[in-house]
Amino acid sequence: MKPFDIVIVGGGGAGLYAAMEAMKTNPALNIAVLTKVYPNRSHTSAAQGGANAALGNKAKDDTVEMHIFDTIKGSDYLADQDAVDVLCSEAPKIIRELENIGTPWSRMEDNTIAQRPFGGAGRPRCCYCADKTGHTILQTLYEQCLRKGVIFFNEYFALSLSVQGSRSRGLMAMNMKSGKVEAFPARTVIFATGGYAKMYWNRSSNAAGNTGDGQAIAYRAGIPMKDMEFVQFHPTGLRKSGLLVTEGARGEGGFLINKDGERFMARYAKEKMELGPRDLVSRSIETEILEGRGFDSPAGKYIHLDLTHLGADLIKSRLPQIREMSLNFEGVDPIEEPIPVRPTAHYSMGGIDTDNFGRTVMDGVYAAGECACVSVHGANRLGGNSLLDILVFGRIAGHTAAEEAGKFEPGKISEEEIKASVDELRSSMQPSGHYERYGALREELGQTLALNVGIFREASLLKQGIRDISELKERFKKVRVFDSSDVFNTNLMQVLELKNMLDLAETVAIGALAREESRGSHTRIDFPVRDDEKWHKHTLATLVNGKTTPGEKPVTMGRYELQERTY
Amino acid sequence: MNSRKELINHFALMTEIIDQHQEGKRDVTFRVFRFNPQVDSKPYFDDYTISAERGITVLRSLNYIKEHVDPSLSFRAFCQAGICGSCGMRVNGTSKLSCTSQVWDELDKCREPGIIKVEPLRSMPIIKDLIVDMDPLVDKMKRYSNWIDSTMPLAEMGKKEFLVSEEEFHRYDKATDCILCASCVSECSILRANKEYVSPAVLLKSYRMNVDSRDSIHDVRLAELVKDHGVWDCTHCYRCQESCVKSIPIMEAIHSIREDALECRGPKDTSGAKHAEAFMEDIEKKGKLVEATLPIRTNGVVWTLRNLLPMAMKMIVKRRTPPPPPLVKPAKGIKIFRAMFREMSEHVKQDHLKSHKK
Repeated sequence: MKPFDIVIVGGGGAGLYAAMEAMKTNPALNIAVLTKVYPNRSHTSAAQGGANAALGNKAKDDTVEMHIFDTIKGSDYLADQDAVDVLCSEAPKIIRELENIGTPWSRMEDNTIAQRPFGGAGRPRCCYCADKTGHTILQTLYEQCLRKGVIFFNEYFALSLSVQGSRSRGLMAMNMKSGKVEAFPARTVIFATGGYAKMYWNRSSNAAGNTGDGQAIAYRAGIPMKDMEFVQFHPTGLRKSGLLVTEGARGEGGFLINKDGERFMARYAKEKMELGPRDLVSRSIETEILEGRGFDSPAGKYIHLDLTHLGADLIKSRLPQIREMSLNFEGVDPIEEPIPVRPTAHYSMGGIDTDNFGRTVMDGVYAAGECACVSVHGANRLGGNSLLDILVFGRIAGHTAAEEAGKFEPGKISEEEIKASVDELRSSMQPSGHYERYGALREELGQTLALNVGIFREASLLKQGIRDISELKERFKKVRVFDSSDVFNTNLMQVLELKNMLDLAETVAIGALAREESRGSHTRIDFPVRDDEKWHKHTLATLVNGKTTPGEKPVTMGRYELQERTY
Repeated sequence: MNSRKELINHFALMTEIIDQHQEGKRDVTFRVFRFNPQVDSKPYFDDYTISAERGITVLRSLNYIKEHVDPSLSFRAFCQAGICGSCGMRVNGTSKLSCTSQVWDELDKCREPGIIKVEPLRSMPIIKDLIVDMDPLVDKMKRYSNWIDSTMPLAEMGKKEFLVSEEEFHRYDKATDCILCASCVSECSILRANKEYVSPAVLLKSYRMNVDSRDSIHDVRLAELVKDHGVWDCTHCYRCQESCVKSIPIMEAIHSIREDALECRGPKDTSGAKHAEAFMEDIEKKGKLVEATLPIRTNGVVWTLRNLLPMAMKMIVKRRTPPPPPLVKPAKGIKIFRAMFREMSEHVKQDHLKSHKK
């Protein structure tokens, strides 16, 4: 195959924006987007609530500076302040740009883009399209990529980076339709593969494919992962499935109620109540449940998200998807009854360590979106900042790669390397003798993570988690792929996804054990307070000679000094 | 804070409760379409019987079968929450998302009691089992410019917002719910006969773009839509709208494109438009169709002679020819009908002024 200038792995918001921007930066470049699902299926489509930008349409006194402060405070001061500057100052421009190319934003009475309040934000600055914001943004970006003639390799599963010394020569991927391993020699590679929170399996709001493929590939190629221990639990997942009820539901005025009928958030965040930041609301719900004030049901304990007082009209016009999901997956109509919810693993703050331009430590390799860690979210991401992150940093990574592609020689991937990759794939498919089922391993991984590396953490639990994960990794070697077909072998794909989750789960648990403090989403029962002296820093996890090797990186400070984080 | 022990107890209790929740189970057979082009010369069905609890979806059942019974069973699934559109398939003969289809609801719709039939979407090439090729749909999105070509100059992008009225937003709000699951594509009766046909999903998207004031290529898109295999080929069977998983009024969008085409391009523009015009003319005059001259008025004399003469001869032999125009008498009560017809036409015109930008 002719070498590409840029190969983008992942066709969600970050990947598509990167492709669009790279083509705009230099139309002469040979750019491809490689994705394991059709781009319009990507998990960006599931983002319901919106994207933050200080447009000032709703609150005239809103400023970029206030958005910056809210984000830094929300991150529990672990975000890099220069990166947050970029995120928030680019926000109004990027929201308008999306508007200009067709995103159907909901509107205010004066016909400007509508905004609503969101958790942890001092002003209503979350721009939205009903409760299908991510879906409409993804559609818009996909439409524009089709317009510009971006080359798509749909349903290709990325396998590994081809590395020579300190730089990448391209990528190896499996064509799902044919089962063939194909080489994608490239000057630059951008990872935009989304998050890894699906490793919590049934206790996760994520799509089945959010298995951290990009991070795992980069990690195995020796690129460091940053702040992996920070996994955000969304306060309101549906009780049975873990599927998400958007924060928009609380933004519109929904109440959280325990079994005594109390709006219990008064105990934890007197001022912000239900619109406190996610980590705090999740912990509050979990505490209510642990202290016996939750509801009980065969499908587990839960609390109520009550929207009934909002009225049928508002629910139908602003939260139609939520209503549909509650009906489909809980059999509850939120117009009439409260929705049963509990916290669910939702977002990975950690990811591939990048600078503010999307560069990783490896020449020619970039990352953006949830799979990257710049870091703008630090220890806890604010609602409405993830769509913003993928848009802003997707664009920046696309721009940087387009500018820098010329610096790198076109990559070449030898036949031997392709053959080695095929052999590795084949050998892993048919172990002899005793074998393991991937489905069982996947479920056990989710269980041990939810139990030992969940919302409340403790040294002994975390150690158990690490032991469990390494045992699962050992058992993984015996997993058998039963489907022997070359054509669309989803059995093989799911096994490879499990491998990616197992590799990353180890870095999450090790990071969580190392960080002896409580900050943002990371809550240690045995170290209940934030310890700035020892732990105001990023953690790194790098694979050296097959072993996870810890490292650290300072947090870039700026205008804002460390403060206690209260709401 | 609670001790670790309490924490573990909490989780153990939860697991135990879930295990106890065994009531409300039924044995259900899934009769699943199988085809692996590498080994099978033709498709066949496999039966999988599992114990399914109340509340379980068809997709979760398929996941269970894949994990525990037959890992080679192949289908697409991603978000599992009804928003990504990956898991479109035919369940008991109807195209829908398997992730939002309840097994117990489906049990009421089985042709054979207790057997839920699961097949791939129709009108798209089959890749394997329940997986069909989406590329033809994407190609059509490209052909019909299913994107906004913004009136905002490139240099001005991101600097200011377009002001969009609530009223305009509502014109395309529902259409932007489309998740391209292709259920409508699978149910469309035209597509089954003609794979070149634009398809309902692409018509819907085209409509959504055409009523957006930010777009600059309305005329280009419309010119493509009125060509062969385009908007005039739809036969109003409403299957697309009935099967839409997001309850989008797709037929309304198709009607809107047609009205828009008649208005912008004139009734003599394409054979589809001429056909519609001839229809209206007959109905207004006589309250019924003058079938004998309909082909000529739609496609012209030359085309009619070349294409329909052999059939006309056969019809004469079989004495099945429609009556000649002078013999088609106005229907009974034509005066009242005409008054109603005119009133309706006036309504439609008013609606147009209200809902279409010009």
